[in-house]
This record gives sequence, structure tokens and C-alpha cells, in this order.
Amino acid sequence: MIICNGYGYVPQVFGRLVRFLFVALFIGCVEEFTPRTLEFGSALVIEATLTDQLGPQTIFLSRTYPFEEEGPEAESGAQVTVVDEGSVEHSFGETEPGTYVSVGDFAAEVGHTYRLSVRTSDGREYSSSAEALSGTGGMDALYAERLTDDQGREGIGIFVDAYDATASSRQYRYRYEETYKVVAPDYNRTDLIADPDGGCEPLKAPRRESDGETCYASAGSNSIILTNTNGLAEDRVERFMVRFIPMDNYIISYRYSILVRQYVQSDAAYGYYETLRDFSGSESLFSETQPGFLSGNVFSTANGEERVLGYFGVSAASGRRLFLNYDDFFPGEPLPPYVDPCDEIAFQLELIGGGCNLLTLIEADLVRYKRDSDLGPSRPYFTVPRVCGDCTVLGSKETPEFWIE
Amino acid sequence: MRYYVRLFVFFMGLLTMAQEKGPTISLELHEVPLREALEKVAEVSGFDFFYIDEWLEASTISGSYRNAPVDQILEDILKNTVLNFYITDSQQVVLTRNSIIYDQLPADFFGRQEEQTVAQVRNAPILLNEVRSLSGPSIETIRIGKERSNTTAARFTLSGYATNTVTGRPISEMAIVVRDRNIGTATDENGYYELQLPLGMNILESSALGIEPTVKKVIIYNNGTYDYDLGESLEMLDEVVLEGDRNRNVEQAVTGITTFEVENIKNIPLVLGERDILKAALTLPGISTAGEGSAGYNVRGGATDQNLILLDDAVIYNPAHFFGIFSALNPFTTGTVNIYKGSIPADYGGRLSSVFDITTKDANTQKFSGEASIGPVTSNLMLESPIIKDKSALIVGGRATYSDWILQSLDEESLQNSKASFYDVVAKYNHAINANNDIKATAYFSKDIFSITSDSVFDYSNRLFSLKWNHKFNDGNTGSLLLSNSEYRFNIDYDGDSNNDFDLGYKVNETEFKLKLKKILNDSHTLDYGLSGKLYLVSPGNIDPQGSESQVSPLSIPQEKGLESALFISDSYNLSDKWSVNAGIRYSLYASLGRSEQRIYEEGVPKNDGSFQETREYGNNEVVETYGGPEFRLSTRYFIAPELSIKAGYNNTYQYIHTLSSNTTVSPTDTWKLSDINIKPQEARQYSLGLFKNIDGNTYELSLEGYYKQSKNILDYKVGAQLLLNEEIETEVLQGDGKAYGVELLIKKNEGRLNGWLGYTYSRAFIKLDSEFPEETVNNGAYFPANYDKPHDISVVANYKFTKRMSVSANFVYQTGRPVTYPIGQYEYENAQYVYYSDRNRYRIPDYYRLDLSFNMEGNHKIKKFAHSFWNFSIYNVLGRNNPYSVFFVTDNGSLKAYQSSIFSIPVPTLTYNFKF
Repeated sequence: MIICNGYGYVPQVFGRLVRFLFVALFIGCVEEFTPRTLEFGSALVIEATLTDQLGPQTIFLSRTYPFEEEGPEAESGAQVTVVDEGSVEHSFGETEPGTYVSVGDFAAEVGHTYRLSVRTSDGREYSSSAEALSGTGGMDALYAERLTDDQGREGIGIFVDAYDATASSRQYRYRYEETYKVVAPDYNRTDLIADPDGGCEPLKAPRRESDGETCYASAGSNSIILTNTNGLAEDRVERFMVRFIPMDNYIISYRYSILVRQYVQSDAAYGYYETLRDFSGSESLFSETQPGFLSGNVFSTANGEERVLGYFGVSAASGRRLFLNYDDFFPGEPLPPYVDPCDEIAFQLELIGGGCNLLTLIEADLVRYKRDSDLGPSRPYFTVPRVCGDCTVLGSKETPEFWIE
Repeated sequence: MRYYVRLFVFFMGLLTMAQEKGPTISLELHEVPLREALEKVAEVSGFDFFYIDEWLEASTISGSYRNAPVDQILEDILKNTVLNFYITDSQQVVLTRNSIIYDQLPADFFGRQEEQTVAQVRNAPILLNEVRSLSGPSIETIRIGKERSNTTAARFTLSGYATNTVTGRPISEMAIVVRDRNIGTATDENGYYELQLPLGMNILESSALGIEPTVKKVIIYNNGTYDYDLGESLEMLDEVVLEGDRNRNVEQAVTGITTFEVENIKNIPLVLGERDILKAALTLPGISTAGEGSAGYNVRGGATDQNLILLDDAVIYNPAHFFGIFSALNPFTTGTVNIYKGSIPADYGGRLSSVFDITTKDANTQKFSGEASIGPVTSNLMLESPIIKDKSALIVGGRATYSDWILQSLDEESLQNSKASFYDVVAKYNHAINANNDIKATAYFSKDIFSITSDSVFDYSNRLFSLKWNHKFNDGNTGSLLLSNSEYRFNIDYDGDSNNDFDLGYKVNETEFKLKLKKILNDSHTLDYGLSGKLYLVSPGNIDPQGSESQVSPLSIPQEKGLESALFISDSYNLSDKWSVNAGIRYSLYASLGRSEQRIYEEGVPKNDGSFQETREYGNNEVVETYGGPEFRLSTRYFIAPELSIKAGYNNTYQYIHTLSSNTTVSPTDTWKLSDINIKPQEARQYSLGLFKNIDGNTYELSLEGYYKQSKNILDYKVGAQLLLNEEIETEVLQGDGKAYGVELLIKKNEGRLNGWLGYTYSRAFIKLDSEFPEETVNNGAYFPANYDKPHDISVVANYKFTKRMSVSANFVYQTGRPVTYPIGQYEYENAQYVYYSDRNRYRIPDYYRLDLSFNMEGNHKIKKFAHSFWNFSIYNVLGRNNPYSVFFVTDNGSLKAYQSSIFSIPVPTLTYNFKF
């Protein structure tokens, strides 16, 4: 059986229809490759969702970047305003590069239309179409259940129920922020530091203050989660799974919390996100969605041909938080493996060609002391990767404000 | 008759000798041409006649016969001609014109042709070869003249007459050849011959059609005479093929037509053991697909929905299994395939680019026979059997895959719940009621079923029926009446965990009635005319809840109805021996019919909710909108030299049904949509010009064709269009212009140990989507390459026969990579990375090339053997070239990954066993 590596992406319902064929017939393959930028095009990316929740509203501006670069460049120094009904202006200030927060708290109101305008530092002006708050539906319930998914994996599903009696919401987008407790398995009293007198052999020292045994790590949703009730008799979202965590994922080992936010979407916004998701979802081997530039509702005021990415949405938002413990779902079962296998290695002190070995790793802060070794003076200590001895690699030692044990 | 008839003549010598055969008939002939007289006899007697039109002289015949035996009538009719006849046991009448018959056979059909030096000899190698074994071993010795001791002459004259013992008539044009000497002659019309022979012993061989051949030792001493008195030889040859369409490459007035017999593709290397007619068509210039695993064909820069694919005159909407890896046509039951890519005959219409006219074989009315194959993915069985001997027969073919079983047995957990299977069945019944009427009926069904996860099952099917009645009114007037119905449907069953289980269905159904008549006006004009009507019923989609918990509310997009009617007439006109014209016109009229609700939008602005004005209601069968126009089908041929012709054509077409697809290649969830108020019909015009050359008969066929095509209202879609179950599809559709041009070169070698062809195509296909509104514009309104634009395309198919039973074949393909839309950057949005696409189809995937080899071994060649077997061992993609099929980007866990997919990226060997009985 010949299958190329790397088709482990998340398939969508329809994309999945066809993936099996090449496997079945041992004939085709899908290979991952490192893309090159053949010709780079720079464009402004606007990420903005105004909500009906009173508070600071946030807008992110960045630029596209070539495949060869690590991350985007923030669009700094722009003047950002949101105009309410063409009269009230809400101005935004840049709190960190590319992040613009409203100067005062405000909330989107039913019946008002909002327009975003951006003036970048190079003087170009951008604007959005006028958007109104769509729907008012809120989330009714957030709950977790143990289940086996389509691919036969056991785990925990996080579900949402929502209901809008006025049936005006219909289209929903979800984002979540999960926070989970992690415990470093090889947290140790002892640490290794460089010998102030020089030499390749490190010295033992008390654990440094910054290391942590118990931390709280957070991650946001990084996929587009959508559902709609368009074909349904009632505007009711029922048992919609926003997140599935396989039981072998270390994030649910101790205590896990998830904040799910629901955004009611306009038709256009929903269409935009749906297309973006389809474009970036799995492809079938035999038919490929025609890709192209996906235009949202933001554009350049001066140059109609300049492409601007992103969407300015105005949504009714609601959110709920859920806590869960592994034991409640998998009582008596072993905990999931830690994020790292934590293999202990006794490194040579010196490299064969000369130069320090273990010390280099310590100075780069990649390892933690585990125990003394019996392998002789050239390999005096067993070490583990830093993440095994210090959980701050993954999160913060500070207990979050919302955390409930 | 001239073009298409292939005569399989069971024939046996010439001449007359009235044997009392067949019934007696009564007949009145009054000043009728000979052909008409013969046809009359055929009609009344029910006998089949075999002859070549050119033999029939212009003379007219009169006569009155009452209860006369057929042979007597024929003798009378033919008495003033050079024709003879013979009546076989199976009521077939073979006319012969003994010396001319050979001119009708290919010059080198039976072997070498030797020029004789002494006298012009009408060589008849067929019987020479054939009869050698028949003449007995003992050779009669004849002595001529009295030997004289002092002779100085080196040569003596031998002369005499040849007479038919049975008839007493002279044998004319009998060849007399001296073995191993360059001497020979032929008898004249009185049977007289004269030969100059060297002194001593000569071996004389004589032969004439229908006459017992002889070998005699002639020892000549002086001038003398010898008379041949010979009996007839009635040797039944198993079969002689008279090729009527030998010159079709250069002679046919129609441009851009490709024809092949399925029998001729059996040596082409196979994909997974499937002999595939449509795949074989791809090796010919002008026909391509977007990629290996893609269903749908692109003909001369046309989109995949622009081909009218007909099986026995009924449309097949999706002739593909497994998403295009296999075609859904049974190779055993398929007879011929005509692909019209240039001038489409006037009786076809409704698609812009081409017609694939696929005909199922007529079943054998003589005996029960069959064919079967066993391959790695499928098995196939075809059976044919007479129902009423010599009159009617049925052919049935069925093919099914065992891939389900393969999937189950794989040690791959993710596939345990997968299902993938397909099958197709076809049956055709042909019934010759009498000499003037025959009926053909075909039924076909194909189905594919897939299930990849436990929660969804997807299936699609094609079903069609066709019924055709051919009738001959009289000489020169024939007609056929056709009724056909086709249906294509697909269905998705979704049964997941939540409250949204559904069952989604799509269906298109069409019924066509067509009357086609042919009138041979005279030698230079043949008219084809008729009318047709086609009713389309499209159920664009319905979704129904599955199970009691499902909250899915049923939705059904209202049915669409349309009637496409056409009148057509074409004249095939021979202006001179060299110049012929085929001029046709088709007037097509399409009416979109209610019951329907049409949404009306403001003119001149993009169709969307903002420009929506009103909904108009139409009652059942009320005409919503009509479209139509004349379609010209013109082509002409001129012979520059006997084997060199130039042809030109002009063609315009309308298309009223369109595929809705938001994919770059064909997908099985593509639906068909009828033209209505908001969707205009597609239109195309094509100009073509070609040079055609045959060398050595048709041993080599060369053609060079160029075309230029413009099209209008080609459908495309807004980025990210949702097409399935969309009630406002027009808001997603863009209609633009297309243009395509190309040059196609084909060199074919039809005979010899090494045969095959080489095709090269240079072609371009572009689309333009322009509007004053950015949302309706792609690539700033400029022409951009279509998804299937592959400028260079080379295919070589070669077959080398080691012996009659063993051969190797190779198939090589090279194509420019197809265009892709490649990102010009990436960006971050809501914690995830996405790609930034700009202009469509600006880049290309790497070039495609592939070599396939196959080794064929046939069983014993004895014609009368019970079963013939045929082994084929193929290796697909011998070079293991990993041909990229597509490049795509996926956001997985927020980070961007780039993938390249390919199909058949490794050599795929397969072994297939076929047998015939």
C-alpha cells in the first residue's frame, strides 16, 4: 500500500467523500510541500467584529506576508474610527502594534448602522460598507459529553444549544478560548547553571524562581466554526459541537475550562466565513473548489482595484464558560500523556570536536535537571526538555481571575 | 452507401447457372434504372443484395414477370450487362463483375501486387494463393509442336481459347502466368490468349474468378495451340472485407470528426484493466480532460458541459465511474464512436462543442456468443443471442466492481466503514422486420455508490432508454423515428449525531422525439432533414429530514421545465468529382416553461437582494421565456490531388442547459440548470480549416486542422458560490465570453507490424468575465486561461505485432500543466492563517507526462475455435511520474499547509483476461 504522508488535515463532510479513493486503490497521493511565493502581493487585512456587549471594542490591522516569513507585520499608526449612523464617531487607539481599542466603551445597538474607516500611516483610506446588528439570539446552554467521534476516537465534545424565538438570528459563528491547568511532571528543586568560573561543567543550584509546576495555558479557536438553522423549522441550535477534545490530549488532564462566544451573523458575513472555511478546508482529490480573491465588505475608497482582506462584522454576541475535570468523564482511567514524552538524556559535557555541549543547551534554556547520572564524569546529569520541568513554557503560573477550582 | 457501407460479402465465384433457388415472384418493371430494378427484386423477394453502386449502368430495364423464379428474373435483368450473380443458400444475392471486383478490393489487400512485363495481366493473387492447395498434386503435361533438332528460335507462340465447361462460354480475363518466369497474359473477351514461351518446359498457371485454377507443364517445341476447357470453382471464402470508408479521411466533407471502432483500441494500455473508449479518445487531438482523475471532456477549448454524449441517441449526463477514473460505457457492447468536434451534423444540437455519438453493437442474429473479462477492479460480461434467427437478437452487457470487497479486506481502519462500488448494465435489441423496416431498442443503467464515513452515503446514477425505427419508403427515401429518455440523479444521505440528518436529491430527466429523413435526390444531392423536440425536467434539489429527531425542514427547489425543439435540413452536394459541400441549417427554439416563479432584477446592475424587484409567477406550461436562432453547419471538401484534400467548416451552436459547478474540475455534485429569464443560453461559433492526406491507400493518414472558436454567455460563478439548493442561483452566476483556437496534427499508420498514431495539439482556451462592477469581474475583465487550457498536448499510441498473437503497445502523453490559481501571499485572521489569492489561473502546475506499456497475447487464431482468449498485461505510468493534479492550501489547526495531489503517482500494473465465445 502506497500512500504519501501528510493528508492528515481535517476533512469537511463533502471533501471527505472522495479522499478514500486513492487510498483504496493505492494509486494517488496527497503530499505536503513548502510553498514558495512566486510573486508577492501586499494587502491590508482588517479583522473587526463589533458586538452588542458594552465594553471596549477591538479591531486588528495587519498585512499579508510571503510564505517565507514567519508571521504578519502589524499595520501600525493607522487612524481607526467607527461611525455610528453617520453621526457619532467612535475613535480607536493603538494599544499595541496592529491592535486598536475603542477609546471609550460602547455597544452596537439594534437599528443602528456602523461603518468602519481606516486611514493608514501612508495616507491610504479604507472603509467598510454600513453594517447593522443582525439578530439578537443568545446562547442557552454550553455542556460537555463523552463521545466517540466519526473517526472512532474517544473524547469530550463541547456542545452548544441556542434558541431565538423571533427566528431572526438563524446564522451563528462561534469562537472559543480554552484555558487548562498543566502540571510539569519533572518539576524539580534543583537546577543547573553555568559555572561562573568557566568550564563546560554546569553547577547545581536551587530552582529558579520563574519556573512553575502548575500553570494555566490558554489557546483560542483557530478554525471557523459555523452553524445555521436555515433549513430548520425553528431557529434552534441543538447539540452543536463546537469543540472535540480526544481523550489523549494533555489539555484535559487536570482541569479544563472553555469560554465559548456566539456571534449572530448576517447573511453576507456568514457567506464570507463559510467561503473562507471552504477555501481553507480539505480538498477532494478529484474536484477542487475554484479559489479566488474573496472580497468581504471592506475596500479602498480611492482605488477600486486595490484588494483588502477581512470583514467588518456587527454581531449580537453572547458567551458561556464551562469547567470540567478529566475524572468526571473518564473515571479511573489513566491520564492522557503529557505534551512531551519527557525522555531523560545524559548529555556529554563536551563535544567531540571541542566546545561545550550540555552547557550550550542550558544557556539556551532548553533543558532542566532531572537527576544525577551514573554514566561517569563526562555525562554527570540526566536532563529532560524544559517543558517537562517548567510549565511556564505552556502557560502562566498566575491563576486566571475567572478560574474556579 | 458509398461512405459507410462495409460489405461483408460471403461470396463464391461468379456466374449464373440458374439453380432453382428461392420463391417465385411477380414483378412489373417499366423503364426503371438498373439499381431500382434490383432493389425492387430485393424488396419483393426479401433477398439481400450485395453489389457496388458503380457497377450499375445507366441503362433502364423493362419487363414483366409473373410467378417467375428470382434467378430467372435476374438473368433477364442482367442480360445486357457485364454482371453475373450468384444466389447463396442464405438468400443473399451476390453480383459480380469478375474482373472489376479486384479493383474494389484494396490494391494490396491480399498481398503483393506484381507487375507483369510481357503482357498486362490482371493479376488475381487471391485465387492463386487460395487455390494452390486445392489443385491436386499431379500436374498434367502437355507437349506442343514437333521437336526439331535445328531450331534457332528461342521462343514460340502458344495460343488458344479458354472455355467454361459448364456454360460453354468463353472465359475472359483469365490470368495465365508462367511460373518463375516473367511471362504472363490474360484471355480477351473471347477467351483467346497468346503467349511467347521459351523452348522447353514451362509451368503454366491459370486462374480466373470462379474458375477452377490449373497448373500445367507445357513442353513447347514449336508454335502451337492449347485450349483450356475449365470447370467452375465455387470456393466459399470465410469472409472478405470490402472497406467502403477507406478514403474517409480525405474524402469526407465533414471537418473535425473522429471515428474509431472499439475493436481497434483493445491493444491500448489499460488503467486498472479497463478497456475504455472515452479514455482512448483522449489520445486524439482536440479532446482532453483537466486531469487524470477528472470526469468530463474538453473538446477544442470547450467546457465539460458542452458535449452531447449519446449512447444509441440518448444522452448520458455523467458517463463516468469513480469520479472519472473509468468511463461508464461497456467496452464489449460498444461498437463505434463518432466524435464530432468541428462540424456537427445539423440533426444534432443543444451543446456547443461536440457530439460523442456512441453506438452499441447490433447483436448477432446468427448464433449465441459472448465475451467476458476479469480484471483487478471489475469484471465484465457480454452475451448476445438471436431471438428469431436472422431477424432479431439481443445483446446484454454488465459490469461490476469488487472494490467494496477490496475496501473491506484492507488493513486500514479509516477505510473499514468506507463503501465504493459501481456497476453498469446495457441491453440492446435489434429486430429486422423486413427489408424496409427495422427496430432497435436500448436500455442502459449505471450507478455509483460511495460512503466514506459512517454518516454519509452518496450515490449517482444514469438511466436511459432509446427506441429507433428505421424505415425505407422507397429508393432514395429513408427515415428514422427516434424516441429516447434519459435521467441522471444523485443523492446524499447524511446521518450524523446532531439534529440535521438529511436526504438530498437532484434529478434531471429529458425525453426526446426525433424524426430524421434522408432523400437521395440524385447523384450529387443527398438531403437530410427532420425535426426534433426535447422536453427537459429538472428537479434542482430537495432536502428532507431523516429520522424523527431531525429538525431539517423539507425544502424543494421548484422543478424547472424546458422544451427545446428544432427543425433541420442539410444537403450533401457533390459539385464535381473534386468538390463537395455539406450545408446544413438547424433552427432551434427553446422555451422555458412554467410552472415557475422567476425573480426579476433591475437591469444593468449585479443581481442580488438589493437589485431584486419582483417575483413573477407562471402557470403550468406557460412560456416563461424563449430563446433560439439559426445554427449553420457548413463544411466543404476539395481534392487538390487524388489523396490530398482541403476542408473548411463553419459551425454555430446554442446550448440551453448548463452545468453549475464551483469546482475547477467536474465534481459529481455538479447540477444541470436550464436557461430561464435570468440565465441566457450559451452560444458558440467555430471556424475550421484542414488538410488531409492519405498515403498508400490509407496505410498512412495525415491530417492538419486548425480552428478558431468564439463563445458567448459561458457560465462561471462568483468566488465561493453556493450552488446546491440555492433558490437564487442567478445571483451567483456570471456569464462571460470565451475564445479558443488551436492546431491539431494527427499522423496515423493503420497497417503493418508497427501501427498507431501520433497526435499533437497546440490549443488555447480563454474566458473573459467583465463587468463595470468589481463583484462580477474576474482578473480585471481581461481574458484569462480556462481551467483546462493546456497549450501543448502530444500523444503517441504505438502497437507492434511480433506475431499474429503477440504484440506490445505503448502510449505516451505529454501535456502542459493546467492553470491554477496560486496565492500571492498569506495572512492571519482570527488566530488562523489563510492564503491570499489574486488573479485566477495565473500559474500552471508542472507539465504532465506519462508512459504506459502493455503486452497482449491472444489465444489461437483459428476462426472456428470455440473460444478466443486474450491476455493483457499493462503497466500504467511506467516512469512512475508523480504528475501533480492540483495544488491546494488547507488551514489545519490554524496553520497553513500546502498540499499537492496526484493520481496514479506510481507505476500501476494490471493483468486482465478476456475471452470470447
